Amino acid sequence: MNIRFEQVMPFPLSSIKHGEESIWGNKVRFDSGEKVILNASSGKGKSTFTMTTLGLRHDYSGNVFYNDNDIRSMSYEDWTNIRQTKISVVFQDLQLFPKLTVRENLKLKNDLSPVYTEEELRSLLNQLGIANKWNQECGILSMGQQQRVAIIRALAQPFEWILLDEPFSHLDEENTQKCLTLIHQRCDEQRAGFILTTLGDDHGTKYDREQKL
Amino acid sequence: MLKKLLFKNQDKKQLIIAMIGAFMGITFLITSIHYLIKVNEFGEGADILGPNTIIVQKKVSNSSSLNLTKTDFSESEIQKMKNEPFIEDVQPVISNNFDVSFETADPMVPRFRTDVFIQTIDPEFLDVKSDKWHWKEGDEFVPIVLPRDFLVMLNTFMSAQGIPQVSDDLAKDVKFKFTLKNDTDKEWVDARIIGFTNEVASILVPESFMKYGNDKYSTEKEKKITQIMIAGKESEFGRVEEMLNERGLESKNSQMVVGRLKSMVGTLFLVVLGISVIAVFVSGLVLIQYMQLLMSRNAYEVRTLLRIGYPPKMLINHFFIYFVKVFGIISASGLAVFFIFKFFLDEMFESGGLYIDTTLSYQSVLSLLFAYLIFSVASYRNAQKGIFKDY
Repeated sequence: MNIRFEQVMPFPLSSIKHGEESIWGNKVRFDSGEKVILNASSGKGKSTFTMTTLGLRHDYSGNVFYNDNDIRSMSYEDWTNIRQTKISVVFQDLQLFPKLTVRENLKLKNDLSPVYTEEELRSLLNQLGIANKWNQECGILSMGQQQRVAIIRALAQPFEWILLDEPFSHLDEENTQKCLTLIHQRCDEQRAGFILTTLGDDHGTKYDREQKL
Repeated sequence: MLKKLLFKNQDKKQLIIAMIGAFMGITFLITSIHYLIKVNEFGEGADILGPNTIIVQKKVSNSSSLNLTKTDFSESEIQKMKNEPFIEDVQPVISNNFDVSFETADPMVPRFRTDVFIQTIDPEFLDVKSDKWHWKEGDEFVPIVLPRDFLVMLNTFMSAQGIPQVSDDLAKDVKFKFTLKNDTDKEWVDARIIGFTNEVASILVPESFMKYGNDKYSTEKEKKITQIMIAGKESEFGRVEEMLNERGLESKNSQMVVGRLKSMVGTLFLVVLGISVIAVFVSGLVLIQYMQLLMSRNAYEVRTLLRIGYPPKMLINHFFIYFVKVFGIISASGLAVFFIFKFFLDEMFESGGLYIDTTLSYQSVLSLLFAYLIFSVASYRNAQKGIFKDY
């Protein structure tokens, strides 16, 4: 699935001058399976990009297309299908359920369109060094631990794209690399692409191109 | 897991208060509808006259005895009464204008003969099947409705003769005959009892028979209408009685007592019904409001679930089913307590001499289903509104 932005301008960002390479106000296309770093300083609309792409914000001019479908014309059923099987996301504010345990948070997502067994989910947690948090409420984990849970939750579904909105902001380099390895692995398995928003650091990972905001 | 996520975060105290309110409302709703119907049905079938029906005449005063005031009803008086909002119908009671006697004509029963007074009333007022209540010249017999007092008198006579008394059913098989006559002619017509009445003192015959007798044997001009039948609307007997007093009319006391009693108990249950409907409505609103509160408390959870791909319909169904179950528990408890109430109330009525039909009225169950349906629709719409607000 290709994603196209055509002259998209979020209303809150319309007063800021955007360059010719920016997504905002220009034509930009993300081809299926591409791995893209979206590099921008604070306040340039990285989260706005994630929310707009996922159909969660509608306060913009221009058009966003999935293949040739304008996302404004999509129904509730279409969005449910997209969010279950086409586009996965790690939100900047993570959006975990703090009163549920790590297990419950992961199962809640995985049970929608099952990808992993419980054992596999535990194994993923183990790879990221938080297997011992399996039965702990997410609300009492550190931000770095929560980020790792959110990443595994995003991987626990079939997808063609994964949107990662500053997903390593509370992680050290070692854990960041472990997460990136998992993300690459899962994307390659499904021939999926990712769009990773960062504040300028590419974390030394492999990617196809860099896009400015 | 979804249940834990969506329903753990709630203040159950408010839910329990709303449930108690709805439970009480539902219980009284079913109870009041059931007894309102049973009280209105009370007395039906006991008499051949229809329910809420009375026969009235003008009060006889000294002045009317001296012919200074009229005791008969004019057409306009009858029409005025018909126009009253609490009156179902008013019809004149037509009397015989010729000599008529009534006697037994059955070899099994000793001869008994007496001059009688016969009357006819509109078939609408009679609780008999219309195919039985007709007569034409040449018919085998004329159907009659006999005053029960007449049967008592007949039985007293038979007892004095040393003959076994007859029951209502047996009396219907006994052959009788009328003798119609004037100064020059005489005729016998067979008659059969088809029912009994406590409310009318004369023998009731079909209108066609009365017309036949009046046309053929009458010696006078048109007969005056001195009695009329009034059918009042359900639970409006107080207003009928008020009208009778205002117009100087009177009726048999037993008819008035039953009507007054039904009206009073009916009004009481109507008041309870009104309060119950309000209680059910208000507690339903509180439950719906509680649902809104629960959804707004879980706004983050609902929004996040939608964002990670949960179908809105699945979330709507979770809220909807939860509240439908809550109302189901309320309704089942209300119905169970109604049966307990019914058991004691039926016993109370019976020991008080009011033999109300104890079968379950389907209207009370229907009212419960109706309340359940309304609440279910309101819950679904409310859940739908709450979920899509976050989409």
